[in-house]
Amino acid sequence: MSDTITKRLGPLFWLAVGWLAIVSLLALFAPWLPIKDPDSYFLVRGERPPYSPSGTHWFGTDQDARDMFARIIYGARVSLVIGFVAIAFGMVVGGTAGIVAGYLRGRTDKVVSFIFIVFLSFPSLVLAILITALLDRGLVTIALTLGVLAVAPVGRLARATTLAYADREFVTAARAIGAGDRRIIVRELLPNVVIPMGALALLGMAVAIVAEGGLAFLGLSVEKGPTWGKLILIGAGSRELEKSPWIAFGPIIVLFLTVLALNYAGDRIRSYYDVREIGL
Amino acid sequence: MNYWVQRLTASIMLLLAVSMLTFGAMNLLGDPLFNILGPAAADTKPESLEKVAAAKELYHLDRPLPERYVRWLGDMVTGDFGVQFSSTGQPPVSDLVVERFPRSLTLLVMAQLLASMIAIPWALITAARANRPADRISTINSFLLIAMPNFALAVILKYIFGIKLGWFPLTFKATDPWLTRIYQTFLPALTIALPAAAVYQRLLRTDLITTLQEDFILMARSKGVSRRRVLLRHALRPSLFSFITVFGINTGALIGGSLIVESIFRIPGLGSAIVEAILREDFPVVLAIVMIITTAFVIVNVVVDIVYTLIDPRVRR
Repeated sequence: MSDTITKRLGPLFWLAVGWLAIVSLLALFAPWLPIKDPDSYFLVRGERPPYSPSGTHWFGTDQDARDMFARIIYGARVSLVIGFVAIAFGMVVGGTAGIVAGYLRGRTDKVVSFIFIVFLSFPSLVLAILITALLDRGLVTIALTLGVLAVAPVGRLARATTLAYADREFVTAARAIGAGDRRIIVRELLPNVVIPMGALALLGMAVAIVAEGGLAFLGLSVEKGPTWGKLILIGAGSRELEKSPWIAFGPIIVLFLTVLALNYAGDRIRSYYDVREIGL
Repeated sequence: MNYWVQRLTASIMLLLAVSMLTFGAMNLLGDPLFNILGPAAADTKPESLEKVAAAKELYHLDRPLPERYVRWLGDMVTGDFGVQFSSTGQPPVSDLVVERFPRSLTLLVMAQLLASMIAIPWALITAARANRPADRISTINSFLLIAMPNFALAVILKYIFGIKLGWFPLTFKATDPWLTRIYQTFLPALTIALPAAAVYQRLLRTDLITTLQEDFILMARSKGVSRRRVLLRHALRPSLFSFITVFGINTGALIGGSLIVESIFRIPGLGSAIVEAILREDFPVVLAIVMIITTAFVIVNVVVDIVYTLIDPRVRR
């Protein structure tokens, strides 16, 4: 059984999952790993930082002689948490609203759908800038802001999938034997809606991680500590790119591989379960 | 006819909802007085309090929220975006918008043109060679491009074409003649265009492959029409539907992305204006730009609908 699954998901899928597992584990256990302190200055007498990649500093150091490898791993802690919290929030709120709207239809559906459209037609980055600028720039605020932005796309998918299932025989059968709305939603509809949402969740996590990078470039990311976006920004100036391209390219490569792995895994899961893009 | 009336009503409702949301959020969460008066806004000295009261009256901040909203809405509909929330209130927001808007529009139009110019030939070539090695490689490439964050692509393009090869300038001067500015806008436009082109290519390729299996294509081929002519003359037009839809929807997403690209390449367009304004809590500027972006989004979607009816007479009702 597991053989056929391996064949159909493909080796690249497991490579992607492997990469995500490595990055997550490194991020999770960063303080206990034998890596350098991300906030120490490793100045070498007689040489001006930044230092290029070497045996001691695998990814080189930044302008302040801080170890880029350690900083990227610590940056992963922030970036991954933002991605995870954001999409979890979007799934819970958007998923619930979407399923309820798709199941009840009528006026509830009209109102919920209109709210989704308003959010979708709002340039999402503008909304993110607005909220982060007016509130504070803590980890929780930024993660939840991106979570609010995930509500409408997730909700629309949940609603469309629910609509496709709500008229099927097994739902009618459940109702015929006397199941209430709550039971039908949780026991009959939710299991069918969860898989397409899971695929979207992986894609959404990638979007949230990228969005953090975008906010960092506008000077609006998490204030404390390194994040992938902030690390790239530090190396992205014209002079830095010319003299020490490794500062920007280290985090770019790690970020890109992570986003790629999330996209690929989401894509594979979607086609594996043969989920059509209903109404997208 | 009925359909267009419905569309119009929905668009207006949408614009009203977005404006209320922005207006409400900014006024409930932010405090513009600090930007107008500086530190005096928080003072309790009598002369500061007087200043605060005067500023409140001048900018109508002493009025209840709904009244301010209606006043703002009335002005906006007549093309007046009000004054900036700064110590002088100058220049008027409308002037700022008129100065910045063309730059962002140029960037976006260039990006979409570039994206189409890349995507259409790319899709034609890959559809003609579907599932052969060239097509496989192109599929991998488009997947990589779609996953690439725009700021990362900006840094990479800046590094390769701006610094290593030195083909493009890395500065944007508003005083340069427009041809030079177009040249300076090329790299940022390419940053926005490449991932968009990959999205368009994927859609168009799939649709082309479906169309190429239709009977009328076989008919044309058997009449002796060349492969190239069949592809360009017979297959392309009926395959353009999803491309045009996504072209429209994508414009909204590109506007968001262009905020970041503008700031990386230092183009003083609407993007940098809205970021500065939000940080200064300069509400009228933020509102003006949000409304412009949303209106543009709505217009693009209506245009997409009209283009639909032009391409396919069957959609006309």
